[in-house]
Amino acid sequence: VPHGAVDHGPLVTFGRYAGPATLILSSLAGGAKHGYALTKDIEQFAGVRLAPGTLYEALSRLEGQGLIEAVPSDDRRRPYQLTTAGAQALRVHLADQRRVAEVGLRRLSKTWGSA
Amino acid sequence: VSRTGTPGADVSPNTGRRVRRLLRWYPPSWRRRYGDEFAELLLAEMAEQPSNPRRTINVMCNGLLARLTQAGLTSHELPPGDQMRSGLAALGCALAAFGAFAVAMLSQLATGWQWTSPQSASATAGTLILTVAIGCLALIGAVAVIPVAGLAARAIARRQPGLIWPTALAATSAAVLVIGTRHFQNGWPGTGGTGVHHLAVPGGLAAFGWASTLSVSSYWVHPGLLARFPLPEVAWMALSPLALAGVAAGLVMVVRRLDFPSRLLRYLTVLTAAASLIAVASLAGAASWVLGHGPGQAGLFRPGLVNAAGLAIMAAALVVALRAASGVLRACRAA
Repeated sequence: VPHGAVDHGPLVTFGRYAGPATLILSSLAGGAKHGYALTKDIEQFAGVRLAPGTLYEALSRLEGQGLIEAVPSDDRRRPYQLTTAGAQALRVHLADQRRVAEVGLRRLSKTWGSA
Repeated sequence: VSRTGTPGADVSPNTGRRVRRLLRWYPPSWRRRYGDEFAELLLAEMAEQPSNPRRTINVMCNGLLARLTQAGLTSHELPPGDQMRSGLAALGCALAAFGAFAVAMLSQLATGWQWTSPQSASATAGTLILTVAIGCLALIGAVAVIPVAGLAARAIARRQPGLIWPTALAATSAAVLVIGTRHFQNGWPGTGGTGVHHLAVPGGLAAFGWASTLSVSSYWVHPGLLARFPLPEVAWMALSPLALAGVAAGLVMVVRRLDFPSRLLRYLTVLTAAASLIAVASLAGAASWVLGHGPGQAGLFRPGLVNAAGLAIMAAALVVALRAASGVLRACRAA
């Protein structure tokens, strides 16, 4: 990262897959899960149902970047878990999002009043 | 697909077939890595919601995206070695498509020039730029293929698996292309005359270019006129693109399966960058003719709809080539 620049972490390079990647990492932060368990967990906590193709495109990107890893298993439904790099990337990304959310809420409250 | 997605649920043969059909949208290497678990996810989804057109479209789109990724054409980075091999293969295919349409365009202009000089600066400039650019691209192609062919020959001699069939496909397709072209170039409508352009593109070469790209023709949309052609010529118009595709597919498989020494990869990367720049110049030459034509041009110098379509395809192929080239360069720096 150049001097003075803000490190937004590796997830900013995911483009339109940054959203699904954040949801997957957030889900895996609670423990290892396979594809269907990820879909259901994300649907429960975020209200978003990731379609199978989108889920696996994001999973393969995350695995390629070393942010998640497959857990050895005899089950055909292979589970994935967060790596240390993945946990750090998620922390940086969520902190960024929190900053944006706080600014937005503060300005909303100032201009439009509290809900 | 051998077991259930949801514990306790049975998989009907119909569901199994649907899952297998959906998996086929993904490339074989992706299926080897993720196929089983993805099939399990699809089975679980189908157990919950048997029919969902949006899910089907999502899987189809992401399967095609995975194929583009495997070709080194998306932002999803592959390991540097794979990225370079895939990028070089994609670049070769894109430049082959680009070259086919550029040669078709130049052969039309070269044939016209055999009869008379063009009356417009745009046709003159287009012809000269295309002549020089295609000559350079052919030279780059030759100096790129020679070391790759040597590497492939050594790998085959060491009995490296998976190389014989693609090499045979590329060689057979190339033989069909050359033999067929040599046969049909006898029907070339040029004169073998003595115009200025004849010095740059000898009659034999112009005839070869013409016969090898007979398939790039507006006659496809005029079936009545096409039916008057001799049957062997129509058959050649249909077969020659397949032969070119066979050459490209064989070479792609060979390139993807070879282990390139880093020096050869660097050498190919330099050629890649040069070929991309020349292709840009070539497109500029073609565009100057197709888009800059005036009312004074007649006969073969007057660009038609097929030339406009050819220009659009060349532009699309060039975008793909530049994207692949940038992936190769990035991977080269990362390696």
